[in-house]
Amino acid sequence: MIRVLALLLMAGPAGAEVMPSIVAPPEEGSVSPADGLAAWDRVHQVVSHPRCANCHVGSDHLPMWSGPEFPEPRPHGMAISGGDSRMGIETLPCATCHVTASTLDSDPRQAPNAMIPWQLPPVEMAWFGLDSAAICRQLRDPALNGGRDWVELAQHLQEDAGHGGFVAWGFAPGGGREAAPLGLQTHIDDVLKWGAAGQPCPE
Amino acid sequence: MELIVNGQRRSLEADPQMPLLWALRDLLGLTGTKYGCGIAQCGACTVHVDGMAVRACQIRLADVTGEVTTIEGLGTPDAPHPVQTAWIGEQVAQCGYCQSGQIMQAAALLSLNGDPTDEDIDRAMSGNLCRCATYPRIRAAIRAAALRMGGV
Repeated sequence: MIRVLALLLMAGPAGAEVMPSIVAPPEEGSVSPADGLAAWDRVHQVVSHPRCANCHVGSDHLPMWSGPEFPEPRPHGMAISGGDSRMGIETLPCATCHVTASTLDSDPRQAPNAMIPWQLPPVEMAWFGLDSAAICRQLRDPALNGGRDWVELAQHLQEDAGHGGFVAWGFAPGGGREAAPLGLQTHIDDVLKWGAAGQPCPE
Repeated sequence: MELIVNGQRRSLEADPQMPLLWALRDLLGLTGTKYGCGIAQCGACTVHVDGMAVRACQIRLADVTGEVTTIEGLGTPDAPHPVQTAWIGEQVAQCGYCQSGQIMQAAALLSLNGDPTDEDIDRAMSGNLCRCATYPRIRAAIRAAALRMGGV
């Protein structure tokens, strides 16, 4: 038990993490392409969930309102734009309503909050409305994923969730909002399986 | 707990989960900031935290990390903020209930963007509702204030 704990601690960073997780990469090539593709399918279930995809929007900088809480997909109300800053600085900062909080939780009627300033991801990471194959190719391309290899992608998820960023929020959005599926640890494990299989993408 | 509000250090006995709006109005007696909807849908409670517009109904006291400015601290009758001067000049208000939030939002916009286009104004101000529909005068006043503050 103690040995397992020590191994777990060695696998992930120390510190009081908001949503702790472990990054334990399998050996490269140790996962079959079929298992890698199956892992990708689960990754896609997460990243295409409205909780994640609604903010992964393109150069119009318009966050989306879609998912079970909305009768049909539409751009964020109130003429909101993230602007080139992706944080709304040019007009109305996202954080004016989506306040930076010490918790991920919020009332169902509140503007949801995270523990870092609310913002859209970089524009090159837009994937709202794209199909699984397109998102997959995008996520394995360092030019479009923040310069990360597959282990660094998993570490990014771990780090963001650890400090209460949007990865953590997606899995624990509070207020009875539907969470992204499968949970953080499964998502990280799937990213690593997909990576160890050579990041295979659907045709 | 302590807050800095309009340049003054204020001590409060309050639940850290209390929304800032409640503390401003009920504990500090600063009733210029209005309660509209309580869910960030109307903008009536807009204040500044370190100069950035924040809906006071959304932020918990525990999460207020900067200096709070309310409409009472933006300007004074003798030395109004340029946005307040423009508001008077354009006679923007009708019933007036939403106007402190409108003014705080407009002042925050101009601090970030000294020369906003009409589209910028619409995007910045669309979260602030006015049931009297004074929107054309709000837009005119923001343009006038931008000029007064050195914009083009």
